[in-house]
Amino acid sequence: MENLILELKEEIIEVLNLEGMTPADIDENAPLFGEGLGLDSIDALELIVLMEKNYGIKLANANEGKEIFKSVRVMAEYIKEHRTK
Amino acid sequence: MNNIVVTGTGIITSLGVGKEETLRKLKAGQRAIGPIRHIRTKHCDLPVGEVSCSDEELKALIGYREPGIITRTSLLGRVALKEALEEAHLSGETGQRIAFISGNTVGGMEKSEQYYHDFLNNCEKNEYIAMHDCGACTDVMAKEFSGRFDLITTISTACSSAANAVILGANLLKEGRADIAVVGGTECLSKFHINGFNTLMILDKEPCRPFDANRKGLNLGEGAAYLVIETEESARRRNAKAICRLSGYGNACDAFHQTATSPNGEGAFLAMTQALKSSGLTAADIDYINAHGTGTGNNDECEGIAMMRVFGDKVPPVSSTKSYTGHTTSAAGGVESVISILALTHSFIPANLGFEEGIEGHNFKPVDHVMENVELKHILTNSFGFGGNDSSCIFSAIHESPTPSSSEVLTNDNRCYIQSAAQISLQQPLGEEWFQNPIIPTEAYNESIEPDYGKYIPPMAARRMGKLLKRAVATAVEALGGHPLPDAIITGTGLGCIANTEKFLTAMLDNDEEFLQPTYFMQSTHNTISSQVALHLKCHGYNCTYSQRGTSFDSSLLDAFVQMRLGAIHSALVGGQEEMTPDYFRMLGKIGYWKEGEVSTHTLKKADSIGSLSGNCSLNMMLTSRSNADTFCQIAGMDMLYEPSMEELLNATNRLLRKAGLDVCDLSAIVMGLSGDCDNDRVYREFRNACCPETPEVWYKHLFGESFCASAFGVYAGAVCLRQKRIPAHLLYDLSEDIMAPKHILVHNHFHNKDHSLILLSSCQ
Repeated sequence: MENLILELKEEIIEVLNLEGMTPADIDENAPLFGEGLGLDSIDALELIVLMEKNYGIKLANANEGKEIFKSVRVMAEYIKEHRTK
Repeated sequence: MNNIVVTGTGIITSLGVGKEETLRKLKAGQRAIGPIRHIRTKHCDLPVGEVSCSDEELKALIGYREPGIITRTSLLGRVALKEALEEAHLSGETGQRIAFISGNTVGGMEKSEQYYHDFLNNCEKNEYIAMHDCGACTDVMAKEFSGRFDLITTISTACSSAANAVILGANLLKEGRADIAVVGGTECLSKFHINGFNTLMILDKEPCRPFDANRKGLNLGEGAAYLVIETEESARRRNAKAICRLSGYGNACDAFHQTATSPNGEGAFLAMTQALKSSGLTAADIDYINAHGTGTGNNDECEGIAMMRVFGDKVPPVSSTKSYTGHTTSAAGGVESVISILALTHSFIPANLGFEEGIEGHNFKPVDHVMENVELKHILTNSFGFGGNDSSCIFSAIHESPTPSSSEVLTNDNRCYIQSAAQISLQQPLGEEWFQNPIIPTEAYNESIEPDYGKYIPPMAARRMGKLLKRAVATAVEALGGHPLPDAIITGTGLGCIANTEKFLTAMLDNDEEFLQPTYFMQSTHNTISSQVALHLKCHGYNCTYSQRGTSFDSSLLDAFVQMRLGAIHSALVGGQEEMTPDYFRMLGKIGYWKEGEVSTHTLKKADSIGSLSGNCSLNMMLTSRSNADTFCQIAGMDMLYEPSMEELLNATNRLLRKAGLDVCDLSAIVMGLSGDCDNDRVYREFRNACCPETPEVWYKHLFGESFCASAFGVYAGAVCLRQKRIPAHLLYDLSEDIMAPKHILVHNHFHNKDHSLILLSSCQ
């Protein structure tokens, strides 16, 4: 799990172009949207692409992301359970 | 402004060709949304509002026999244009000054996406390279008119493009610059934007259900629609039957998010409020709202909230006719204007198809069935685009004459000054170092010198901005300086953020339409630049984007100039934004854009071959209606002409000078877009020799390079010289000594000898 969290943080930094950030700067328990990292709806869409591309998870509706992207940890747990690659 | 009337309309959508078929199906409540047929895409599960005619069938409809290629965007446009021109009885020489303003975003993309690998790897489809941009589509459409348009331009504000074309057309009429304006928009479906919208996850797999509680998104559509608008006097003069009035309009920017609408629909509220104000009507006068109503969760909720803010608990009957046609994006403002006019003149309200259950929090429900025999006097139609480019127009029955607001008065006292300017280019950025110590490019391909953007853009915002967006924001912030927020932000860009377009297109082609990133798509629309600047500055004022090839910047300047003359705005941030990428450079190189080998001032001056050196352009200038000690210069006059004869060009110049109380001999210099391309330079030389053979020639493309927006540097260079009270020798084409204390400078710009602009700058000293 901890490996997946680290991997995910690296991928998030890359895909969202969070220049100058390292995995250590992201608290895996903090919210990704709103306060925490301060991401927005476009970032959510980018994360949906990330999940599909890297883990073979396809979301039919952007709203499903709301629960999944609560924090990096929640996202990692969801991926662990649903990944197809 | 109660004297602008509509004298012709034309339309083509999935509902059919022309008004008759459209009317019949609207009244029958017949939806025209179905499977994709013409586009080869793996997203065939997404229903669309596709025009059933093939390209060949469209050609047959207009009797198309011209040599050369034509894109579907232009073909759709010409079908609608033909109908509008015929109804308005416009053909041949009319003796009227006619402007053609077309909204468009997809341009030639539907062909570019098929031939992109050819563009890069072979020469088989080279002729399509020059047809990619939006302005090229408008240019090809202009041929549908058997007479000649005096001015053409293209507006690209995504889904509100055509509505903004209506607004510019009306302003040109009010200012007396045109007698007649043909306005609207066209868009064809492309794999590119089907995939783009799909990454935003806002496409419904079922026919869309605008304003329904269970709506799932929009359906894309295609089509075109144009209106012929003119002053009542013009219509009377030429015995044209007036169909209805264009009684008001408004344009505002939501300045909230690149794709999402603000929760209280601020931009939409402002656009509707302004439209009402300019028409002299009150909310209670509106009998029907043809809503933007895309069917997405966000739009419909927020548009509804904005309507409730404007109309209170008495929201008039509302429907979104996108439930019939799908969302025709850049054409939508035209399509829905024509549908509104059909409703007005045939006394019916089209249904909001697919509606079952209202949205929680809305105090209204859309019209769920076609209402016949309804007396309609005033109709408001909304068109909103990405980046919060929100516009509203009001059409009124011909016998209605609302009293317009008197805030806009055309007088010669309304002046326009260049107050400040900032550039990022091949020269040292954000200053006037180039004026003293220019960098002389020596190659055809050139990169901009980037400043440190950290000072201008916070990291969270910068992270998803391409280079051009960063440049645009930085130059806007610098040009704005300590000025209050401008009344308008207007940007010219021939290609938009082409680097992002390429990234999305390449990924789409290479990954078989999978794993595409929404960020690249939303930043591929041309208006993302102007709206990003508005977003950064939190500026809700007028916002517009022009994409007319080599006169994209000039079009922006004209819009600002006209509105300032009308007193509609008192300040504007006007920009020209263009970027070059290695791939696009290579493609344009195939069709003769660039010099081969080393470039020098000497080789450019020889101008013995085609091609020039490429540049990037990022320039923003602040225009104000008042001058002070820091003012660069006054824009004493401006004109744009389409395919003028030399005589017409000279007449226009004389008119410009005469209006300013000047004569040719008063000109201290003429700024020319000499680029070393023999065909290009010949046109400048011929005009200068005929107009002012003794006037010193200033050039600037040897320092800033060639791009669609390069003319921005021509105006900028002239303005800097006037403020510095000196034209340095390095800007003078064949003089070796500085010219001191220049007073008046004429800037001439042309693109392929088709689009011309003349800008007269005068010293304020």
